[in-house]
Amino acid sequence: MRFNEKELVSLSRQPAEMAAELGMRGPKKGDVMKRRLVKLVVNFLFYFRTDEDEPIGALLLEQCRVEREDKQTFSIVFLDEAERKYLFECNSEEQCGEWIDSIIKASYEFMRKNLIFYRTEIHRLTGKDPLEQYGISDETRFQVSNGLHLGSRDASSL
Amino acid sequence: MKLNERSVAHYATCDSPPDKTGFLFKKGERNTAYHRRWFVLKGNMLFYFEERDSREPIGVIVLEGCTVELCESAEEFAFAIKFDCAKARVYKMSAENQAAMESWVKALSRASFDYMRLVVKELERQLEEIQEATGGAFVGLGGQQGRPKSSRRSQVARSRSGASSSSSSSSSSSSSSSAPSMTVPCSAQKSSQDEVPLISGCSRENGVAWTKPPAANGFVEGASCVAWEGSADSGNGIGYGADGVKAPPVPPRRRGASLESPVSPGTGCFSKLHDWYGREVEELRVQWLQSQ
Repeated sequence: MRFNEKELVSLSRQPAEMAAELGMRGPKKGDVMKRRLVKLVVNFLFYFRTDEDEPIGALLLEQCRVEREDKQTFSIVFLDEAERKYLFECNSEEQCGEWIDSIIKASYEFMRKNLIFYRTEIHRLTGKDPLEQYGISDETRFQVSNGLHLGSRDASSL
Repeated sequence: MKLNERSVAHYATCDSPPDKTGFLFKKGERNTAYHRRWFVLKGNMLFYFEERDSREPIGVIVLEGCTVELCESAEEFAFAIKFDCAKARVYKMSAENQAAMESWVKALSRASFDYMRLVVKELERQLEEIQEATGGAFVGLGGQQGRPKSSRRSQVARSRSGASSSSSSSSSSSSSSSAPSMTVPCSAQKSSQDEVPLISGCSRENGVAWTKPPAANGFVEGASCVAWEGSADSGNGIGYGADGVKAPPVPPRRRGASLESPVSPGTGCFSKLHDWYGREVEELRVQWLQSQ
């Protein structure tokens, strides 16, 4: 599948929500834990060799689940291949917690759900649709009845 | 650079509803021919398929850091997706008619994660203003440091299953499936038409909900009032979650569960984003005004 790689590499240089050197292990058998510079930018997790400017790779954080594996380790699995785990080793329990939290919030779908919630609440409290003043009430992405899936604890479907 | 392509493709075809779909002509990279492709916009990802019923996308355009412009072209109803980086590609597209073109330009202009984030923050801010304006009644409700109300809301936004507050806060969900007594009384008290969420219900009936004696309406409401009173008593209205001593039975909160800026490390980061986006929005506004 083609993708706009140059632009994605450029994105990896943008201000990051979170950036740290972590241990990272890929999902394949035989992958080992390596030190990587891991950077969270919008809904992408970029990972770099610690002394390089260009990322080795990127993970789109949609339709994925983040879980704590142990005190300092968390994992990311993608719902379409749940047996394959990406593991990340942090330097402290606290750091681990921060990363998990940030990654959960890093999905577009997560934000959409929050937006819909806020919109509904504000409307309920004030009788007004807060998006009207911006002229964006009708946009598909802001619709309450977009049929979003809820119920499971996946980051994707929060 | 590697990408988790299989999973990205899965996002394209999974059953989460797309923001927009339709046929567009896309100019090829090497040759100048325009190819008709089926496009699916989900979030900040613009996927394109060979055919409408293709099982996998041929490609995806990540829509961050781009602008969408109408463009001069031999093709009618043409527009372009342009990126800001060095040697960036320009994606030339054309739609089948004027309406489709306008609709796509509009949808694509606002597809970025940054844009969504800005709108969410704005609504979050508005909601807090409203809550603050309606008085301190909220403050004692399940508070912790920072912004108890938004935390509560974020809890609600996040986990619909199980959390006692969740079923009360959204009229669109099937409420009360797991609802403990907390949610029922406010609904009962309010007009039968709207299922008013517990919190806002209490705000409207600010005085009433707080001062009604627990036994007045029987067990169910008693239970709810006790729960709320518990919070009023222990704190001086300021949210007592900090010491956790008289915490009401609220769902466990995650650290940083409030929807405060996720951009915790360095506000410089956020203000940069904000500024950048502010410019973007301004440019779009100008563009739109000109195209009217």
